[in-house]
Amino acid sequence: MEKAWIAVLRKEALSELRLRSSLITAILFAVFSVVCISFATYDLQISPQLGSGLLSLSMLFAAVISLPRVMLVEVESKTIDLLRLMGNPGDVFWGKAIYNLIFMAFTSIVLTLLFLGFTHVGVGNYALLAICMAGSSAAFAGTVTLCGALVTHASNQTALAGILSVPLLLPLSFLAVSGLRVALDVQGTFNAGNGMIAGLGLLSYGLATLAVGPYLFAVVWKR
Amino acid sequence: MLAVRNLSKKYGRRWLFRNVEIDLEVGDCLTVIGPNGSGKSTFLKCLVGLVDPTVGTVTWNAEYGYSALDLAVYPALTAREHLELAGQLRGIPANVTPLLERVGLSYATDQLAGEFSTGMAHRLKLAMALQGEPKCLLLDEPGAGLDQTGRDLIAGIIEERLNSGSVVLATNDPLEYQFGTLTLTFPM
Repeated sequence: MEKAWIAVLRKEALSELRLRSSLITAILFAVFSVVCISFATYDLQISPQLGSGLLSLSMLFAAVISLPRVMLVEVESKTIDLLRLMGNPGDVFWGKAIYNLIFMAFTSIVLTLLFLGFTHVGVGNYALLAICMAGSSAAFAGTVTLCGALVTHASNQTALAGILSVPLLLPLSFLAVSGLRVALDVQGTFNAGNGMIAGLGLLSYGLATLAVGPYLFAVVWKR
Repeated sequence: MLAVRNLSKKYGRRWLFRNVEIDLEVGDCLTVIGPNGSGKSTFLKCLVGLVDPTVGTVTWNAEYGYSALDLAVYPALTAREHLELAGQLRGIPANVTPLLERVGLSYATDQLAGEFSTGMAHRLKLAMALQGEPKCLLLDEPGAGLDQTGRDLIAGIIEERLNSGSVVLATNDPLEYQFGTLTLTFPM
């Protein structure tokens, strides 16, 4: 028999494939942000510092506008009770977090490819870029799922999830900028070691939020 | 099977119910009656753990299934996928075909729940509640939104359940009172 968290993941994927609400929002956001950046800087060479900031910001917003819906939509549509009757918090959290991770990885790849294709930004270290993208995807997915999960019983979930995510997303954004700055540095100006530390920090951050999420979610699971 | 001790629920300054004590055994049918807003549904939600009581304990010694009018289904999933999801989450076989046949919904096995009428969604929730043959069945307003055939089906399922387990009904439907061996009245 399929594991329970895989059943939750399957449910999320089927719902998204049929409704396409979050996917279209994230892709449209990625396209719009890259088009705007490309239009504003068409005759400029974007520095790695600026490029890393713009790319991190685009990923952050793509995550924030789409990922919390995976948890909050259950509350809004009152299907959360169905899950609470049948499932346990660990399975529900893992299913949703892994779905968010896949979704975020896909969005990050699309966003980065568009960004590199439409702006004058080069890549100095492809391995570090891949680590940063994987780390960012894990960290964004873990953090945003956790924030969405923690506010399921609050009266104004969307606003509260946004406020709660600020202190968690701020260090994550710093790490993403630090790592991407080195990855996008074609001329070798920045210390590659610092970039690798930031990339691994992102991965660790993601794994940490994914690891503690089920325990924190279990506390708020039963009303 | 079910032991309820000193169960009380307060919203704001108003007690919905206080000091409810119940012992439910095989063959018992507890009928909870009362006007709208008297706390019948909240009482059932306290029994299944969807709402925390203000005071008191609920102890189950058996599996239970729960179906309620205000329980939502996933609009983008089919009836089959609902039962598969429920089975996988509980770690029990899905039994899609027999369950949907039992509640008279086999014709809509692969139809999205978002296209269901209220009565069809009600039948799907009932099928999920019956999954795994739980000893106790808790039904909140079981006849609401159903036609006469559906109400007869509910009556048949209640009778069948009472042979091997117990049933808790929250209802204002006089036709469903007939099953009650125990009655709990919630005044407004």
